[in-house]
Amino acid sequence: MLRYGVRRLLGLIPVLLAAVILTFLANQAVPGDPITGLLSDQSGDAALEARLRAAYGLDRPLWQQFVDYILGVLQGDFGLSFRFAQMPVIDIIGEGLLISPVLALSALAIAFPLGMLLGTIAAIRQNSWVDTSIILVLVAGISVPNFALASFLVYIFALQLDWVPVAGWGSFSQAIIPITLLVVPTSAYIARLNRTYMLEVLRTDYIRTARAKGLREKIVIWRHAVRNTLVPLLTTVGIILGGLLSGTFVVETIFNIPGLGSLAIQAIFARDYPVTMAIVLLFTVFYAGINLIVDLLYSAIDPRIRLGDRAA
Amino acid sequence: MKMLNRIGSLKAGSALATVLVFAAGAAQAQTLRTNINADPAMVDPITYSELIAGDVIGNIYEGFTAINEAGDVIPALAESWDAHDDNMGFTFYLRPGVTTHLGNEFTADDVKYTFEALLNPDNQGGLNARYLSTIVGAQAVTDGETTDLEGVTVIDPHTVEVRLTEPDVLFPIYPFYFMDDAAVETAGDEWYLQTSAGTGPFVFETWDRGQRVLLSANEDYWGEGPSIDAVEFLIVPSGDTAVSMFDAGELDVVYADNPSIRRILQTPELAEQSLQVPAAQIRYLGMNQNLYEPFQDARVREAVCIAFDRQAMIDGLYEGAAFPLAGQITPGVAGFNPTLEPMPYDPDRAQALLAEAGYPGGEGLPPINITSTEPNRNDILYFASQLQQVLGMPVEVEIVERGSHIRNMNAGEVAFFPWGWSAGYPDGLYFLSQVWYGPSPYNRSRWQNDDFDALIDQARATADNEARYALYNQAEEILIGEYGTCPTTVRMQLALVSPDVEGVRLTPFRFLPFNTVTMD
Repeated sequence: MLRYGVRRLLGLIPVLLAAVILTFLANQAVPGDPITGLLSDQSGDAALEARLRAAYGLDRPLWQQFVDYILGVLQGDFGLSFRFAQMPVIDIIGEGLLISPVLALSALAIAFPLGMLLGTIAAIRQNSWVDTSIILVLVAGISVPNFALASFLVYIFALQLDWVPVAGWGSFSQAIIPITLLVVPTSAYIARLNRTYMLEVLRTDYIRTARAKGLREKIVIWRHAVRNTLVPLLTTVGIILGGLLSGTFVVETIFNIPGLGSLAIQAIFARDYPVTMAIVLLFTVFYAGINLIVDLLYSAIDPRIRLGDRAA
Repeated sequence: MKMLNRIGSLKAGSALATVLVFAAGAAQAQTLRTNINADPAMVDPITYSELIAGDVIGNIYEGFTAINEAGDVIPALAESWDAHDDNMGFTFYLRPGVTTHLGNEFTADDVKYTFEALLNPDNQGGLNARYLSTIVGAQAVTDGETTDLEGVTVIDPHTVEVRLTEPDVLFPIYPFYFMDDAAVETAGDEWYLQTSAGTGPFVFETWDRGQRVLLSANEDYWGEGPSIDAVEFLIVPSGDTAVSMFDAGELDVVYADNPSIRRILQTPELAEQSLQVPAAQIRYLGMNQNLYEPFQDARVREAVCIAFDRQAMIDGLYEGAAFPLAGQITPGVAGFNPTLEPMPYDPDRAQALLAEAGYPGGEGLPPINITSTEPNRNDILYFASQLQQVLGMPVEVEIVERGSHIRNMNAGEVAFFPWGWSAGYPDGLYFLSQVWYGPSPYNRSRWQNDDFDALIDQARATADNEARYALYNQAEEILIGEYGTCPTTVRMQLALVSPDVEGVRLTPFRFLPFNTVTMD
């Protein structure tokens, strides 16, 4: 178990390196130039431009910019923001560091059990009206784009009913609509997966055996069947979390939430490469970390995974 | 969920001033809440280089002069000034009894300090540095040879003399933001996040990135007000969210972006609560004669200018929130010529002119791109389709990323483009001398006319306002008369103001400081 964990941690290094390289190259490939953006439409004097280019090290060859960046990051120095005059990236990012992960994890904490419950109910009532109506809701939940749902929820709950504020951050009520927006598609996705897994499990021999033993249906479903759908579901948590993190980009922008998602959008539009790079790195670490935890978790639930590892 | 809530309240709690203001809320503290669509890039007057920062900083810092609601220049930190006899400088008499937010008296040393800080190459001096290039010794400071600006002399605490290398009659109206010269000493290099060093009606309190910038009232302000206790600039990236927040009473004043202007004008209840003022921003069609040979013929340029319908653009593209622009100085900016008529929409004459120039029905015209950025896509689609239909001109639409587009235009490499230019100070010379003057780096379509340039040179040295405006009018007539460009439209700015709020002043230069605002 320990050796497995260590090996997975070492495996993170090439992943992070690849993320840095890809982001660095993507930043170079998109049209536009941070200094032109920085100078605004009306202040493009050539001397100032040259001075700024030198100040931000953009006059160095590309490979050197990259090497210097990596060396800086290893020492915890993410450079200066292009857009925010003379501010270190680390200060800018530090303020909203936890908001996006907290949003994503809160949504996951609600969506996961909710999706499991809906999927299970639909499966055990397969082809009944219950099943059909749940499927209808799930399809709607997955297909409605989140910005459209956002307008709808804001209109009903903030403008008409006045139960929650339209936007902002800092109180529980302000978090309700944003988290709901993340929960809706995620729980629908989990429910659909779980319905499929459950239908498979319900047809297996051990379920038939359990029923034949005369166990009550409740115990058959919730103790035997649900537990066996948990492993395949857990493997998808990584993917789901990736979706949730990108969901925070939109949600944070709509609701003025000062997390890394909305900061990333600002940074991308402003060609603020140092900030973009740092956010990508952080999200990669977070995402890879969660995947690692999930892997460790299900190797704990399902010994076959650990054994397979040892055999290899 | 609990954790989330805790982090949220910690964050709010960190802004001590916020807490103070809202704690005082029990005793009816009045905070004006308004929107900005992104974080300001800075909150200090030296690196200041963009609009959002300007919205905030304009409430904290002041210059020699300011403008009033009519757009006229009024004295601010300078009570008066004399032009030197040789027209090569000014002596400013500063307002006595003004204290900065740090509690020091505002003096001539602060003026000199601000100028030197703007020019110092270590400081990344922003937009205001460009107004200093004509001061004697400015280049030496920019080059890092000295930090002492030779052309600025402190005569006594309330008198400062500025000497120039060439006449620049507009120097007193440049929108400088003077800061207390003790700020860095008192609070270190990042003083602008720790303290506030202006003389304006509001004092910088905090900036919670991604959330808000909070200013509190300057109790010792030398001028009118403020009668409210604080201004909170909430960072609201989505214009739609801003309008909804206004609707729900979470914002008192909203400066609307273009997409939400459409929504507001379609909603009568909202439209009733709006202020509408034309922006001090010219719009024009750039036609580069070096890059597209047919543009060298004035008949072709005129044909282009009258082949599209400005009113149709306004109704169809801008929901009515614009009006036709006749010249290249906008209404509300000094030197505007109200007698100039917008160019007509006259397809028949356009076709006749094109035929006369040797391109009947567009025959023989080489292909050309009309280029702009994504937000202007609809505009260039309209121009392209009109020019194809009316003139048979082979025009293709090209969308380019903003930074690249600006660089290409500055390099004179874009043949045909609609673009705009916002005035940095309240005088028409800004438009004419920057966009249409031959040697200007922002003369992006490379139109050049010796008579026009001579009039601009003369205007720069003409201190008498009326005489100078007459020169603008003459210059503008040359530009328009030979169809050097096609003026297109002026954008209407729109602000929503809650019925509980009085005294919000929207001018062609966005909002004036909120010191005149009162709230119920």
